Amino acid sequence: MQPMIRVENLTKRFAGVTALKNVSFEVKRGEIVGFLGPNGAGKSTTMRILTGFLPATAGRVAVSGVDVFEGSLEVRRHIGYMPENNPLYVDMRVREYLKFRAKLKGVGRADRNDRIDDVLEMCGITDVRHRIIGQLSKGYRQRVGLADALLGEPDLLILDEPTIGLDPVQVRQVRQLIKDLGKQHTILLSTHILSEVEMTCNRVIIIHHGKVLVSSTLANLIKPTIEVEVRGGPRDAVQIALRGVPGVASVRMEAGDDERVRCVLHPKPETDPTEEIFEAVKRNGWKLRELSRSRTSLEDIFVQITREEDEAEEDRRDQRRTMLR
Amino acid sequence: MRNVTTLLRRELNAYFASVLGYLVIMFFLIVMGVTFAVIVSYLNRGPTQLTAMKIMFSMFWVPSLFVVPPITMRLLAEEKRSGSIEMLMTAPVTDFEVVFAKWLGALTLYTLMWALTGLYVLILHYFSQGVAALDLGPVAAGYVGVLVIGQFLIAVGLLTSAMTKSQVMAALMSFALVFLLLIVVNWMTWLFRGEPALRMLGVAVPLDKFFKAVSSFDQMEDFARGLVDMRPLVLYVSGTALVLFLTTRILESRKWR
Repeated sequence: MQPMIRVENLTKRFAGVTALKNVSFEVKRGEIVGFLGPNGAGKSTTMRILTGFLPATAGRVAVSGVDVFEGSLEVRRHIGYMPENNPLYVDMRVREYLKFRAKLKGVGRADRNDRIDDVLEMCGITDVRHRIIGQLSKGYRQRVGLADALLGEPDLLILDEPTIGLDPVQVRQVRQLIKDLGKQHTILLSTHILSEVEMTCNRVIIIHHGKVLVSSTLANLIKPTIEVEVRGGPRDAVQIALRGVPGVASVRMEAGDDERVRCVLHPKPETDPTEEIFEAVKRNGWKLRELSRSRTSLEDIFVQITREEDEAEEDRRDQRRTMLR
Repeated sequence: MRNVTTLLRRELNAYFASVLGYLVIMFFLIVMGVTFAVIVSYLNRGPTQLTAMKIMFSMFWVPSLFVVPPITMRLLAEEKRSGSIEMLMTAPVTDFEVVFAKWLGALTLYTLMWALTGLYVLILHYFSQGVAALDLGPVAAGYVGVLVIGQFLIAVGLLTSAMTKSQVMAALMSFALVFLLLIVVNWMTWLFRGEPALRMLGVAVPLDKFFKAVSSFDQMEDFARGLVDMRPLVLYVSGTALVLFLTTRILESRKWR
C-alpha cells in the first residue's frame, strides 16, 4: 500500500538560508506522527510544502502517491490543514465561516449542513456557532480551526502546533480529540509539548537544523532503563557480571570509585531482568545499594539528541576553521 | 467558477461586515450628491450647451482617486498580514480564482455605488419632462465609460494590495498609481498639445496624439457625449487582463522566493 506521506531528499532554500537539507521520511496510513524540533528547525516549512503552500527547492514529496507539486489541487482536497497561529477570518461567524470553507473544499450541497453540524459537534463548538470568530477566546478559535481542517473528511490531517496557547483543560480536550480522530485519520502534528506526543502519537520524527535526526516509534525511542548501585566489587568485575545477566542489552558505567559502582542498564525489549540482576550481585557477595527501573522521558531524549547534533555541528565548524588556517 | 462565486460572496460580506463598505458608499454619495445639487442649480440659471449628466460623468476622477484605494487595499494585503492567505491557498482553489474573485468583489461594490446615482437620472427625467427630454443614450454610454475605466483601476488597486502586507502602503501605492494614470496623463495632454512629434531613434513619436488617446478625461468626454469607442474599451479590458495576470504572478511569487 502507498504510504500516506513520502518525503524524499527534500531540500528547501529561502534566499540565502537552507531551511531543509535532504529530508526524507514516510508516514504510513493510520499513524499519528509527532513532528518535533526546536524553533526554526523546519517543521512549519515541511508542513507548508506538504500542503502545497510552498514548493520544494529539490526532492520529491507525495501524499498518497500524488506529487504535491504536480497534483497540488488533488492533494489539497485530501488534506485537512491547520496552520501555525491558526489564522481565521475574524469578521465571520463560526458557522458562516465553516460553510464558506466547506464550499471551497467542494463538500456537496446535499451533505454540507450535516457535515458542518458534525464537525461543530466533534469539536465542541455547537454552542458558539453563531458567534463572531474575532470575539471568541483562543481555545474556541483553535477548535474552529480544527473543525475547518476536518470539514472535507480528509485522509490526512496536518496540524501545526494545535495546542499552543491553550489552557491545561483545553489542551487535554484537544489532545483527546486528536486521539479520537487518529482512529480514522492519518495525523501529522507538530508541537513543543513532548508529554503530549508521548500520550497521543505512535511515532516521532525529530528534525533539527533542517535535518531528520530521529524517525522512530515511541516504543523504540523511549526505552526503560535500570539503575544499579553496588558496593564491594571492583568496577570491571561488576561490569562483566552484569553484562552476563540474561536480558541485559547494554551496561553503561557511571563515574565513581571501586567502593560505589553505579551503572545504567538497558534491558532487551520485552524483558525485565531485575531479579536476575539481584541474584548476580548476591552470587558475587557484593552489596546492592540501589536497583530501580525508570523510563527516560521523551524530553530527555529530545534534549540529548538535539544537543549532540549541536555539538557535532560545532565540531564540524571548528574543523573547517582549522582547515582554512 | 463555483469557487469564484463562493469567494466573491465572502468578499462582499466582508465589505458590509465592517464599516468600510458603508463608509465608502457614504463618502461617494455625499460627493456625488453635492456635485449634483450644484450642477442642477447652475443649470437652472439659464440655457447652456452642457447636460447635467455630462458634468456628473466628468467628475468620475473623484471616486476613482478616493474610492478605489480604500476598497482594494484590504483585499490581499490583509490576508497576507493575518496569515489567512495560507488557509486560502491550501484549499483546493487556484491563485487566479482568488485574484479574479477579489477583483470582482471590489468591482461589484464600485458598480453598486454608481448604480445608486441612477436615482439622479430618475430625478432629472421626472423634472425635465416638458422642458427638455432627457436623452438616455449618452447617459448609458457614460455609465459604460465609468465602469470600464473603474474596472481597470480596481485591478491596479488589487495589484498594489498583492505587493505588501500593509493596507496603508497598498492604499498609498494605488493612490499614487491612479493619480499617475488619470491626473498626470491628463496634464500631459495639456503639456504636449500642438507639440510637433518627438523624434526618437529615427521614428516620429506623436506625443500629443498618444496622450490624447490614453487620457481617461478625453475618453470620458466621448463616452458622456454618447460615443462608445472600441479603442478605450479594448485598452482597458486588455489592461485589466494584464494587471490581473501580474497580480497572480505576485501572489505566486512566494513560491519562487
